[in-house]
Amino acid sequence: MLELFRWLQHTFIADAIRDSRWMYPAIETGHYIGLSLLVGGIMLIDLRVLGFARTLPLRSMIGLLPFVWVGFIINVLTGSLLFIYGASNFGVNHAFWLKMTFMVLAGLNAFAFDLSVTRSKVDWVAADRPPTYVKTFATLSFALWICVVTTGRWMAYL
Amino acid sequence: MGFLESLQDTWVAHLVAESLWGYPTLETIHTVGMALLIGSLGLINIRILGFKPELPILETRKLLPLAWLGFTLNAISGTLLFTSDATMFYESYTFRLKIFLIILGGINAGLLGSKVYQNAPVGVPVTPTTGAKWLAGTSLVFWFGAIICGRLIAYTP
Repeated sequence: MLELFRWLQHTFIADAIRDSRWMYPAIETGHYIGLSLLVGGIMLIDLRVLGFARTLPLRSMIGLLPFVWVGFIINVLTGSLLFIYGASNFGVNHAFWLKMTFMVLAGLNAFAFDLSVTRSKVDWVAADRPPTYVKTFATLSFALWICVVTTGRWMAYL
Repeated sequence: MGFLESLQDTWVAHLVAESLWGYPTLETIHTVGMALLIGSLGLINIRILGFKPELPILETRKLLPLAWLGFTLNAISGTLLFTSDATMFYESYTFRLKIFLIILGGINAGLLGSKVYQNAPVGVPVTPTTGAKWLAGTSLVFWFGAIICGRLIAYTP
């Protein structure tokens, strides 16, 4: 594993980021913009499912997911570049692996939420009556993404 | 400079700058607050620009408490982060630009609120004027500009 990280860190991509003054800050800034779309969008959807701002139709709030996906894709790309740049440091960083764990959990949770929207026999979205288990997914999602942000921030300090 | 130096020497500033958890915790709160603020204000802005037409415009004001929550979290965490290295932040042009953009974003949000939400006729769907759309568009520029400047403080004079 360490071999792989060392190799990654010396690919031409990593060298290009290292050799440029503005590339690392630019990629980091992109990661923050993606974060705003991803986490901002997710939190709005979660809070709406939990009953916040009920006069906004539930279906169109769940329809914010494309924005969330754009943020997610931006952050997978920028995050991978940042990882490649410092692979042998990040690869042994506990906060990084915690962050990845929280991301996988948040992803599984989002998948479960999506299934409960598309496969549910009763149309709770149109009726604006999310079942308790769906509210649990929303609560978990809110908490897990805050954990992702927190562990992401802590990577610089561990 | 006397004020900034004494600010930097308060026990709060020392706690933020020197404790193991102070700075990262405040940074984390600042990031979550940012997502809340930009998420809710951003949605209001893109709705005024014409996206998601199925959301009733007048009802998007229900998102304002969330925007205020994000703003408050960030004003507090931001002030505390500022105290930890007050002279550096004060002298940074990028930091000054960020504060300037936040002030513009705030004025913009106030104008937008009075244009779109206040004096809106009851029971009639609101159609934003071209002026409101300009405000919504510039609002996005100001707030995303503030994010960009915030990130770049560490790398620029």
